[in-house]
Amino acid sequence: MKKIMHILFLSCLKATELIEKKFHFKLSIKEKLQLKMHKMMCEACTKYDKQSSLLERGISKTLKNNYTDIEIDNLKLMIHKKIEQSK
Amino acid sequence: MKDKDLTVWVNEFTKDLYKWAYYKTSSVQTAEDLVQETFLVAAQKMDSFKGDSSPKTWLFAILNHKIIDHYRKSVHKPLAMEANTISAFFDVDGSWQQEKRPKEWEDDETHLLDDSDFQKVLQKCLDALPEQWNMCVKLKFLTEKSGEEICQELGIAPTNYWQIVHRAKLQLRNCVENNWFKD
Repeated sequence: MKKIMHILFLSCLKATELIEKKFHFKLSIKEKLQLKMHKMMCEACTKYDKQSSLLERGISKTLKNNYTDIEIDNLKLMIHKKIEQSK
Repeated sequence: MKDKDLTVWVNEFTKDLYKWAYYKTSSVQTAEDLVQETFLVAAQKMDSFKGDSSPKTWLFAILNHKIIDHYRKSVHKPLAMEANTISAFFDVDGSWQQEKRPKEWEDDETHLLDDSDFQKVLQKCLDALPEQWNMCVKLKFLTEKSGEEICQELGIAPTNYWQIVHRAKLQLRNCVENNWFKD
């Protein structure tokens, strides 16, 4: 019974794969339907989808906030030195 | 004359180039290396710089090549696929392992993103991922490109790409849940 369910409505492993895939690629109509059906019956994967898309937005945010100031002047000195050496 | 130009450019453009490289790679070390390499390439190619574009545009073009190169190399490093990631989360039938099933977080989760402690947990969990996985989950935002374009540019198979992302996100979500909602 479980096997038949998985073929028709995907396993949780496959469903979470599609959830991640849809953040990066367009899903086919079949994939969209399968995922929708699966989520209707599976609370855990519904939560996963919601939380994973929250994390997507979180990741994008960590990248924007993360500017670290370094000693640009040190970097400049280093570059001047390397250019000298490369001659 | 040309030597003098380059010296001036280093002083003038290092900061902007570094900021861009850092924004695109989110690593201080990588950004510093890429900017240094950019100027070394510029030093070699000075003769071919005709002044058709501004020096800044020219330097940025070199840097952008370097950044793509960097992604390409990292993504082609031998893959740490760790087959057991999947079996840690799912049983042989592909159902959630009992203790790894996603739990309820909160009714309204969106405010979490404004919580700096939550951001810290997320950062910590991102840092804990294998380097390549970490890069793959960030690539979309760093390159601002679609999955197809990223794969084409880096020369990796789409299936390979989102399977890495899948494993990375399973681990990331679990790590955040364990560290943030432990009470």
